Amino acid sequence: MMVAVFAAMSAALVFGWLGRRREATACLVLSLVLATGLFLWEVYSPEYGFRMPWIQVERALDPLPKS
Amino acid sequence: MLRKKSLALPVLHHLYLFLMMLTLAGILSAAAWLQYAGREIPCPLCLLQRLAMFGVAYGIIVNFRHGYSARNDGVSMIFALLLLIISVRQTLLDIYPRPGHEYIGSAIFGIHMPVWSILIATALLIAFALKFVVFGNERLADARRFPALASASKWLGFYMVALCVENFVSVIVQCGLGACHTWGYLLLG
Repeated sequence: MMVAVFAAMSAALVFGWLGRRREATACLVLSLVLATGLFLWEVYSPEYGFRMPWIQVERALDPLPKS
Repeated sequence: MLRKKSLALPVLHHLYLFLMMLTLAGILSAAAWLQYAGREIPCPLCLLQRLAMFGVAYGIIVNFRHGYSARNDGVSMIFALLLLIISVRQTLLDIYPRPGHEYIGSAIFGIHMPVWSILIATALLIAFALKFVVFGNERLADARRFPALASASKWLGFYMVALCVENFVSVIVQCGLGACHTWGYLLLG
């Protein structure tokens, strides 16, 4: 998948360099879509989903002193 | 006098874009140096951050090669935003060290790569905002009217394209056609 993302970006840069605007735009959009999909796949955890429970402070279990 | 004044703004504008591309080239070259000389294999999210920086460079390269358009700036800003999202998420993933999740690679000035990426993405977005504030939407002359700047930007743009192709080859060697890992280069055994 990462190979496809970089292939699309490399193609976009080469087409952009050569002035072939339409092909460059198509490759750039493809690269953006693939990169977004890959990013979501990388950060998804079967255990937590997209949540990040390790940065919760659990204030409910440790209330502040009243005084 | 009038001609000099009317050319000053476009020259400054293109110089500004050139310096932005030079900064990106420096950052991506440093990443390549750490990868090959420092033997630090990039993680998947690190590779996606590099990709986002190439996306920002795309807009600037096309501005220089084929005439200025605010659309190209828009493309660059979308990729700067992507860089910010990825780097913030990676920083939050590794902010509490636990098995399988900690900042990898060297810390530069005590700051690890994903945190640097947040600073870079924020700086890029601020730089584009400042560019619009200072230069507005005035009709800006084509960079090709300034031969020295056009020549320098042509070579720098070519370097960025070559660097992206080099990263593409490196990704093939590191990841093959599957998922990327940081324990070694797949095709090198």
